[in-house]
Amino acid sequence: MAEVVLNQLVKSYGGMAAVRSIDLTIPDGAFAVLVGPSGCGKSTTLRMIAGLEEISGGTISIGGRVVNDLPPKDRDIAMVFQNYALYQHMTVYDNLAFGLRNRKESEARIAEKIAHAASILSIEPLMQRRPKQLSGGQQQRVALGRCIVRHPQVFLFDEPLSNLDAKLRAQMRIELKRLRERVPATSVYVTHDQVEAMTLGDIVVIMKDGLIQQVGTPLQVYNDPANLFVAGFIGAPAMNVFKGKLDAAGEKVMVEGVALSVGERNRAALRGHAGREVMVGIRPEHIALGSHGNQLEGSVDVIEQLGSEMHLDLKMGNAAFTVARVAPDAPIRLHEKVTVSIPAERLHFFDADSQQAIRPASLSGALAA
Amino acid sequence: MTVATLDTRTPMPHKSERGFFSLMAPGARRAFFYLFVIGVGFIIAFPVLWLVLTSLRPASGMFYVHRGTEFTLDNFFEVFENRIVIKAYINSAIIATLATVLSLGITVTSGYMLSRFRGPIASGWFSIIYVFRCVPYISWVLPLYILTQNLGVYDTYLGLLLPHIAVHICFFSWLMKGFFDGIDPSMEYAALIDGCTRWGAFVRVALPSAVPGLAALAVLCWLWTWNEFLFALLLTSHQTPVLTVVMAQFVHELGIEWNLMSATAVMALGPALLITFFGQKYVITGLKI
Ligand SMILES: Nc1ncnc2c1ncn2[C@@H]1O[C@H](COP(=O)(O)OP(=O)(O)OP(=O)(O)O)[C@@H](O)[C@H]1O
Ligand SMILES: [Mg+2]
Repeated sequence: MAEVVLNQLVKSYGGMAAVRSIDLTIPDGAFAVLVGPSGCGKSTTLRMIAGLEEISGGTISIGGRVVNDLPPKDRDIAMVFQNYALYQHMTVYDNLAFGLRNRKESEARIAEKIAHAASILSIEPLMQRRPKQLSGGQQQRVALGRCIVRHPQVFLFDEPLSNLDAKLRAQMRIELKRLRERVPATSVYVTHDQVEAMTLGDIVVIMKDGLIQQVGTPLQVYNDPANLFVAGFIGAPAMNVFKGKLDAAGEKVMVEGVALSVGERNRAALRGHAGREVMVGIRPEHIALGSHGNQLEGSVDVIEQLGSEMHLDLKMGNAAFTVARVAPDAPIRLHEKVTVSIPAERLHFFDADSQQAIRPASLSGALAA
Repeated sequence: MTVATLDTRTPMPHKSERGFFSLMAPGARRAFFYLFVIGVGFIIAFPVLWLVLTSLRPASGMFYVHRGTEFTLDNFFEVFENRIVIKAYINSAIIATLATVLSLGITVTSGYMLSRFRGPIASGWFSIIYVFRCVPYISWVLPLYILTQNLGVYDTYLGLLLPHIAVHICFFSWLMKGFFDGIDPSMEYAALIDGCTRWGAFVRVALPSAVPGLAALAVLCWLWTWNEFLFALLLTSHQTPVLTVVMAQFVHELGIEWNLMSATAVMALGPALLITFFGQKYVITGLKI
């Protein structure tokens, strides 16, 4: 196991920067998930760590050793690819043995290691098959097995589950979690699926346009998004965002002509923005039907029945917002007016220009440390 | 449930079912298809058929191939007794095989480079073979003639082999690039991480996946050289006779010995057919990638 440190990492293709400047420390044994929209540079970052992509600037170190100029085979890493990348002309057994044979281990040792990995992944019956004769889920397991047998310092995953169907993906996610207990190693996992990021990661790294937007535990990035982008990206359904204007005291914010209290927690931080425009965010699951505290009124535009809950899309003047976790049997009809309550402590505020969060001092201090 | 029956009630017309053919009954459509295939097949097969027929007719029946009923194998015996023809036959086989074997390695690596690498070396190489492809084939011949004369390899195996290898590389690197483009490079990345060098990843992972492509390439190279006429005509003479040239020499001052020429041509057809027969599986799957 080893710590992975990225220091001002840059990658440009010709004039275009794919990764602009990444600083990230992944502690020994941690599972870090890089998440972000398509084209934000996640794979490029991962491939630079793997040594498959040349580095344009900055350094990468693994276990305290700068690996910038080491070929992939000398970095002591293993990688799972999106399309599995199994060796098509070899049996499953030979696929698993390939890396070990390259390290000149004895066949007896290899057989032992493969048996161990195969039992963890329950792929024993597949050993003599070829990759083409396996289902997607089985290929995925073999690809994982190929990594496990080598006991690398760092595991790298590039969207390993995205070729699987929804059900299998959920199942493999749980298996990956279990695998982590049995085969601990520092891991970097790339995905564009925020559910995978939240469920798998010790550390979630949200990227956009080749830059890190926020690094934190799943709860940190959910509770205290550093900017509007993170706020919208993490959580489903996405956070509601309104244009608002703070009053002169910075204690109330006007949203669509309704004055909402900003809450104890935010008051101090908002003082500096008094009288200015801000963006106000509230998660759909934090809004409740009813009329206590801050209230908004809207007409029901869309009802999404999920069985366990309902999602309502409400229209309010020019703005629209979503309410989640409505009881599935609530007597609500389309186009009807409903009143919802917005807990002031759950409001998020963002600077209208910079889009950065306006956070309580205690929090921003804690995160910076 | 009603939902389940919804889409079966109004089936979308399948694309191929629209237009002219949809007006025919299925049986008529099939008949039309077979007629078409047989027609095209006939157009392609007819010259070969005629060639074989000609080779089986006596010299006197040359111009009445379609009428006479007299058949003979004499043409073949006569050709077999001709030392030059036999020598040319063997030479052609040796040169085609050697040129294929010798060019294969370079063509494969060059195709791989064109597929996987960017940068000045790859694009320089690309330009070179592109230029050679653009130059009309015939304009290579005269410089090659002078060059082989000066190097003292005129009318030798080497003098014909080298130009052929060059042609293989220039013409078939593209084909090989196509094969490798169709092979997922992440397999090679996995190999790099699994302890291979760049070369190792190529040899141990990319190459085995390209075997159908390699087989197709070998077939095409071999047939190319076996059938090639222009280089052979100008770069060889009595020392190293080549089949295609010898065949043409049945045209001389005293007339054209169609019967002998046909017999030689039919003999030349043999190995080509054999190679095509065994290689076509690879050529087809190879070209499909
Ligand atoms: N070989 C390349 N040449 C030029 N540009 C590239 C190359 N590879 C990637 N890019 C660009 O770099 C940027 C980042 O690509 P990258 O593959 O890292 O995105 P990603 O975050 O993994 O996206 P996805 O979720 O779609 O996989 C993209 O804008 C992409 O177009
Ligand atoms: Mg990617």
